[in-house]
Amino acid sequence: MSDVRIEDLSYFHAKGTPYEIKALDEIALHIREGKITGIIGHTGSGKSTLVQMFNGILKPHSGRVLLAGEDIWKKPKDIRKVRFKVGLVMQYPEYQLFEETVYKDIAFGPKNMGLKDDEIDACVKEAAEFSDLSEELFDKSPFDLSGGQKRRVAIAGIIAMRPDILVLDEPAAGLDPRGRTAIFQNIVDYQKKSGRTVVIVSHSMEDMAKYCDDLVVMSEGKILLCGECREVFSHAEILESVGLDVPQATKLLLALKSRGFDVDCGALTVDEALEQIKKLYHN
Amino acid sequence: MSEPFIKIENLSYLYEDDSVDNSPALEGLSLEITKGEFVAVLGHNGSGKSTLAKLLNMILTPTKGKIIIDGKDITSEALSDDDVLSLRRTVGMVFQNPDNQLVATIVEDDVAFGLENLGIPSDEIRRRVDEALSDFGMLEYAKHEPHRLSGGQKQRVAIAGVMAMRPECVIFDESTAMLDPLGRKEVLDSILKLNREKQVTVIMITHYMDEAALADRIVVLNDGKMLIDGTPSEVFEKERMLLDAGLAIPQCTELVHRLRDSGIVLDGDCVDLDDCVELIANSIKII
Repeated sequence: MSDVRIEDLSYFHAKGTPYEIKALDEIALHIREGKITGIIGHTGSGKSTLVQMFNGILKPHSGRVLLAGEDIWKKPKDIRKVRFKVGLVMQYPEYQLFEETVYKDIAFGPKNMGLKDDEIDACVKEAAEFSDLSEELFDKSPFDLSGGQKRRVAIAGIIAMRPDILVLDEPAAGLDPRGRTAIFQNIVDYQKKSGRTVVIVSHSMEDMAKYCDDLVVMSEGKILLCGECREVFSHAEILESVGLDVPQATKLLLALKSRGFDVDCGALTVDEALEQIKKLYHN
Repeated sequence: MSEPFIKIENLSYLYEDDSVDNSPALEGLSLEITKGEFVAVLGHNGSGKSTLAKLLNMILTPTKGKIIIDGKDITSEALSDDDVLSLRRTVGMVFQNPDNQLVATIVEDDVAFGLENLGIPSDEIRRRVDEALSDFGMLEYAKHEPHRLSGGQKQRVAIAGVMAMRPECVIFDESTAMLDPLGRKEVLDSILKLNREKQVTVIMITHYMDEAALADRIVVLNDGKMLIDGTPSEVFEKERMLLDAGLAIPQCTELVHRLRDSGIVLDGDCVDLDDCVELIANSIKII
């Protein structure tokens, strides 16, 4: 179980060349333990660079990354251990499937951690259950599965390492509405059952509003807003100023309010908006 | 009525595969699209949307059935190489991943790439490249390196590259799926522009219901077959059918349906936010 604390962190792409760009600019951030935190921001705002700091794929040029209070770069030789503690699911992770069978693919991470066969087996089964994959699929080739199933296998491969923190970059990109809901519901169930910390990067404000506890908004390498989801989405103007948005339900209430109706614009989901609008009819 | 621009007759496609449960990606699909129409294609993953796009662009050849574009049977075996090239020019395509479709090291070279392959004279290329870049707001990036652009900008370069070839129809295969909200808006604005101002026929494959709401017409595929064909408001009325097919309806439409379910009278269609605000505001005034 652990939280992530980022202190005063800066990072430059192509440092020391004429193309040097400041990707992260003195960032301070706390990712709460046992919560689902969303990260939003337009392309190039530094989201992906930030999440690559969490497990030491990138090393900060200044500042610190604290995992459960420990500086992950204190002993640079031990950085590999950090990578097992922070599981990173990249965009379109199904392109990284490579093994002959689903079982072997999910087992790849735990195997690399040097676990014994029976421990590996337990990890694989647990991860498959979390990802809603039946054991009947274990002997199949991952390449014979549907798009949604492939993605689930790839996510299970990371969950199998039992990371303290699970980071997912656009986990639902390219999936149809049913597939989207299923993946997010899996993630929420995983968080509830395991109690572990989850970080999700996404462009969908509706999904963020529905599934996240906390929200971090990035713009030009800085943290623009951060806090509980509801609080962050109450700043519609700031979000729009950086090319982001509020969920459709919130947008609808804001539009009604600007037409003179007395509604509370704090609603984030269809259910909440419905309640607000029904009140208008009862008054 | 005039002849449809695209006529699809009883189209089927079966991917070659040894497995027993191999079923056709498309089965007996018939569809007519008129010139200048903006058609959105919805369907779950594996419903046959992308297969349809590849058949229209002759990347694939149908197992059964016919496709007639602008009076020419593109599935005919008698088609000459010249016919194939001219048909590919008629139907352009923009794909999902902005990083996989730009080939040159400078934006304007990328837009010129297709034209050079067509053997168009260089002063004409210059004119068309500048025009296409300016149409999609990318002229100031003409000398930039594509990999330094944002996703939305890269897709606009891809659109400019396709449009420079003066196609009569452009197919967008989930071209906004990998973009942030601003990038999506840029690309959607470009799609609307080429449809409304340049009268280009648009076929847009998407998983986003609010994008489909922008189209004149929505075609919903399910397991390789046609499920629903109608205007956005007709299609979104069939909420149960869409949910059963793994799809959804826009949040605003869902809200209006649920208000109606609770006994509130809302008269009129609702496919987007403006409709929804209007319906609710009007109904409260009446009370």
